[in-house]
Amino acid sequence: MTDSDTRLQEAVGKALAAAERLPAPEFDTVWAAAGARAGIARKRGLLLIGSAAVAAVAAIAFVFHTPAGGEWRYVDRYQLLETTGWSAPSDSLLPDREFDIYQSVPVLIESTETYGGTLL
Amino acid sequence: MRDSDVLDNNPHISRSALEAIHGQVFGWALSRTDYDRSAAEDLVQQAYIELLTGKARFDRRSSLKTFVFSVVQNLARSRYRRIASRLRLLQTAGHGAAEGLEQPVEPQQNTAVWRAVQALPQRQRDIVELVFCRDMTVESASRVMGVSTGTGRVHYDRAKKALRLTLADHGESFDD
Repeated sequence: MTDSDTRLQEAVGKALAAAERLPAPEFDTVWAAAGARAGIARKRGLLLIGSAAVAAVAAIAFVFHTPAGGEWRYVDRYQLLETTGWSAPSDSLLPDREFDIYQSVPVLIESTETYGGTLL
Repeated sequence: MRDSDVLDNNPHISRSALEAIHGQVFGWALSRTDYDRSAAEDLVQQAYIELLTGKARFDRRSSLKTFVFSVVQNLARSRYRRIASRLRLLQTAGHGAAEGLEQPVEPQQNTAVWRAVQALPQRQRDIVELVFCRDMTVESASRVMGVSTGTGRVHYDRAKKALRLTLADHGESFDD
């Protein structure tokens, strides 16, 4: 570097130093903020990967899932029309305790017991 | 280098080594953001995040300072690309002047030398700053700028000539 280069360098250096007259922010502060932001980015990345993994597992489980009773099957229309013994799937929701309307109700209605001279 | 000091995702970088060059990195970030201190602090933070996460990996092919300066330079470039595209979008949408966008902040500085440096083309200004003010060789400065050493040398020589000419017009001679 020549003398004139050195003098030019000094002049430019002084001009720049004046432009940067305020000190840099504390390293520890900037470093801590960067660490926090990196942590958030890492958590966000992990959350994204976790969500994708859960979605993939759910999709695989849905595809390969078979009902507890055995294979999936569709309702056979002809089989349905040829029988009177069909029960709707919703019957499984009825309570266990049932009564037969033809067997039980007449007994209740046709009681021979009286109460105050009147048939019950 | 203490073991506990080394970054997990960047085994060749230590926290203390970064701390030693922090002031210079911030100065470089300042000039990349037109002397907007908050933008410069954000830029330095972003550079440290790149180092912490290992997105920018130091492999000792240059000095740590050259490497970190390059990271800052690349981040600043992408930042300005984003700002420029937002500006274009706003102008297309008929907003005219882009409100809310950061405007360059000129330092409280009006010397002839400063104005001459600011008048240089971007690449010449960068190499002058890196070599004259950030104690870098032309080779390292070229690496930071992402150009070959030969190109860097051409920018450096042209910058010096332009500065001498401009300053001679203002009565300041830097000739031998």
